Amino acid sequence: MADSGLIEKTSKCMKCGFCMSSCPVYRVDHMETHVARGRNMLINWAEKNEIASDDSFRESIYYCLLCNRCEATCPARVASANITLDARANLVKQNGLPWFQRIIYRGIIRHRSLMARGLGLASWLPGVSVKEGKPFRHLADFVSIFAGGLAIPRISKPFLSRRIPPRTYPPKGTKVRGEIAVFPGCAFEFFFAGAGKDMVLSLAEAGFEVVYPGGLTCCGLAVHSAGDFRTARLMAKENMEVLSRFDYIVTGCATCGSALKNYGDWFSGDDHWQTKARDFSRRVKDFSEFLFSQGFSPSDTKTSPVTVTYHDPCHLRWHQGINDSPRKILNAAPGINYIEMEGADKCCGLGGSFGITHREVSLAIQRDKIESIERTKAEVVVTSCPGCMIQLMDGMSRHRVSCEVMHLSQLIRGQRGRLRMRR
Amino acid sequence: MALTSSIRKILVETIGESGVLVSPLELAAYSFDGTTDCRGLPDVVVFPTTAGHISRIMKLANENNIPVTVRGAGTNVSGGSIPTSGGIVLCTTRMNRIIDLDADNFTVTAEAGVVLNDLNQELLRHKLFFPPDPQSFLAATIGGCVSENAGGPYAVKYGVFKHYLLGMTIVLSSGSIVALGGRTVKNVTGYDLPQLICGSEGTLAVVAEVTLRLLTLPSEKKTVLAVFNEVTTAGDAVHKILAEGVLPAKIELMDNWVIRQIEEITPLGLPTKAEAILLFELDGMDEAVKKETRAVINLCSLAGALEVRAARDSREAENFWTARRAGFSAIFGKAPTVLAEDVTVPPSRIPDLIGRIKKLANDYSLTIVILGHAGDGNLHPSILTDKDDSGHYNRAEEAIHKIFAAALEMGGAISGEHGIGLEKKKFLKQAMSPEEIGLMKDIKKVFDPKGILNPGKIWE
Repeated sequence: MADSGLIEKTSKCMKCGFCMSSCPVYRVDHMETHVARGRNMLINWAEKNEIASDDSFRESIYYCLLCNRCEATCPARVASANITLDARANLVKQNGLPWFQRIIYRGIIRHRSLMARGLGLASWLPGVSVKEGKPFRHLADFVSIFAGGLAIPRISKPFLSRRIPPRTYPPKGTKVRGEIAVFPGCAFEFFFAGAGKDMVLSLAEAGFEVVYPGGLTCCGLAVHSAGDFRTARLMAKENMEVLSRFDYIVTGCATCGSALKNYGDWFSGDDHWQTKARDFSRRVKDFSEFLFSQGFSPSDTKTSPVTVTYHDPCHLRWHQGINDSPRKILNAAPGINYIEMEGADKCCGLGGSFGITHREVSLAIQRDKIESIERTKAEVVVTSCPGCMIQLMDGMSRHRVSCEVMHLSQLIRGQRGRLRMRR
Repeated sequence: MALTSSIRKILVETIGESGVLVSPLELAAYSFDGTTDCRGLPDVVVFPTTAGHISRIMKLANENNIPVTVRGAGTNVSGGSIPTSGGIVLCTTRMNRIIDLDADNFTVTAEAGVVLNDLNQELLRHKLFFPPDPQSFLAATIGGCVSENAGGPYAVKYGVFKHYLLGMTIVLSSGSIVALGGRTVKNVTGYDLPQLICGSEGTLAVVAEVTLRLLTLPSEKKTVLAVFNEVTTAGDAVHKILAEGVLPAKIELMDNWVIRQIEEITPLGLPTKAEAILLFELDGMDEAVKKETRAVINLCSLAGALEVRAARDSREAENFWTARRAGFSAIFGKAPTVLAEDVTVPPSRIPDLIGRIKKLANDYSLTIVILGHAGDGNLHPSILTDKDDSGHYNRAEEAIHKIFAAALEMGGAISGEHGIGLEKKKFLKQAMSPEEIGLMKDIKKVFDPKGILNPGKIWE
């Protein structure tokens, strides 16, 4: 294999095995091939051509949520998730992507207008749109079968970009504090447009002129995680281009946030773009991080008293190191009885496409999470990631737990009950 | 040796497809453990979930002369869980149920694959306490800890695994399932066989279940940090404290090199000029802890500590202990190969041993870092070297020989808590008489006449 620094990076692993205690996947099947330590060794040996990069190697490399929890437990701070990603990229470089991923990543996701058109058409299909009752949901059901029964949220109609103007002004009488751009990401644009609107409005109500620029594409994380770094870089460049003039870029999607903040790493070996990306990333803020840093507290909440718990998205907790600001906002909100759940910082089990490709493991991890939530007796579980929202909603209905799943922005704006989903 | 397909088939029939690994990659993933540089490929890895499974696996292995290496989480640091003779790796990680937590009688019975940290979390909910704390506790399994007779910082006051072992269920090489010991603290019914299995490194039998004694969680804890300009002065302080009848739960020592590294990685305000730091934990009833804390502070000052104080709050205390744990990884980040040793001397000889190690470092131009459990005489001198630099590596190995010789000469042992495994078997003859080794070999024959359990370990 080409020198990718992986031998050196994996050699830092001292094989202590502490990662076993924090790895959600290892905790399910207890296998060395599915935990950072074992994977680091396998990658090291594959790089040295001591073992073959065969199908079972590939299986091990993709048997990871990339939640990054292991790095926090690792005494030697080995970046195992990044190592795994690099190994995936090597596999993609050698063998290419499977044809269906190639079409999805390089075609549909890359060109978001295509995706929008496809989903837009689909939303007109009977039952796919937001209606009461029990409609047929052809496309969603179709996708759901592919996703091993994962309940896919309905396609929003209309999309977020049609629900808010390109520029949203603070309400009259509010002191204007500046202009920011939002990066809602595909999930808020196409599936959780209501929550996306709440995010935009709560930022406006906090005194910001909120611009939702046209021409944004997918953040690229799904593509990057699959090891297709080339396409991911093209997407990063498009987004940086569109957002170049803004001082702050705020996103309510933990996944998009971790991608945008990591663009610098995506361009390793390309100094020009790396410098540009690092400068860009410094201006990217998570929704809670931004509000908290601006001294915002949700004093004007219209929420009736409610018991709330919080789930840490891995992309926020372990990839961006943010755990305080969402809790501080929740604790400051009047009418909220906040209860911390056991293992709040444990993965929900989705891990993007992992939840679809490794459904059984994903469900086992999901069950633990749902049980933790249930023990708090919370009426609402708040999180900051649409991926987690999908997995938690699926888990609630799967285990018949009546706890509502909400994005932080929805709770702040008191929009309880707006977002419902059916299997 | 390669396994015949019929044996593989029987294994799959016994424990199911998902509990049998045979692909070359999966086998490679079980060719190592936490030990620096040892590897050995198994022919198959199996995940039994009951003692019955283990029994059938052992019967099959015994009839066909197949080596069996038992493995928990594979956090061993002496090579004990490496299948150097191939054959079967019997991995207990899926036997992870706590069978009976008897809070009234302060015992717990658990399957071998229960992770020590998971047990501790469960005990915490009942305000119970299991003190032995090998630093691999986050991943290590109970079965592995018993087989290695693991211990850690708490040993000075609370002892090691063997002091908590009441009973166990084992599977013999023949496949027989046997219950040993019981569940009471006092029990002199015949030979103490659980103690024989404890620390036998998987060479006598497969541990399927263990019953351990528990304590109640101490109501109060305090941490004291003492700074010294001489490592030997620190040693004197430890001696004075123990002689005064104060028994701290932990007495940990870090030398100047470790202190500087920790400060570099996570600045905690440790004095980087200090030659040595002692870290104490006092625990027990509130009043006693107060008194003991005062006594430790006074005695350290009397012994000549530059600075000594109690941690301001639990947060600072936690920072100090995090620093102690970080010491180990600080070492590993600094050299391509680290030989982390594990010698023990009677506690009063600690200053002598440290003096000797410093001289060896000087004579052989090596960096030898010292941290360890000063209260029980267990030191971890770690040599920074590079196995690809043969000149350097040879000097490091020679220095290790001399450290062993020094420890033995002072009445100590060549391993305090890591075990002999593969790494130290060549030193066994230095540490034990031929008669003692002969007795061990005879015992081995009784338990495992064909020698299929963890062959190639402990002695040459």
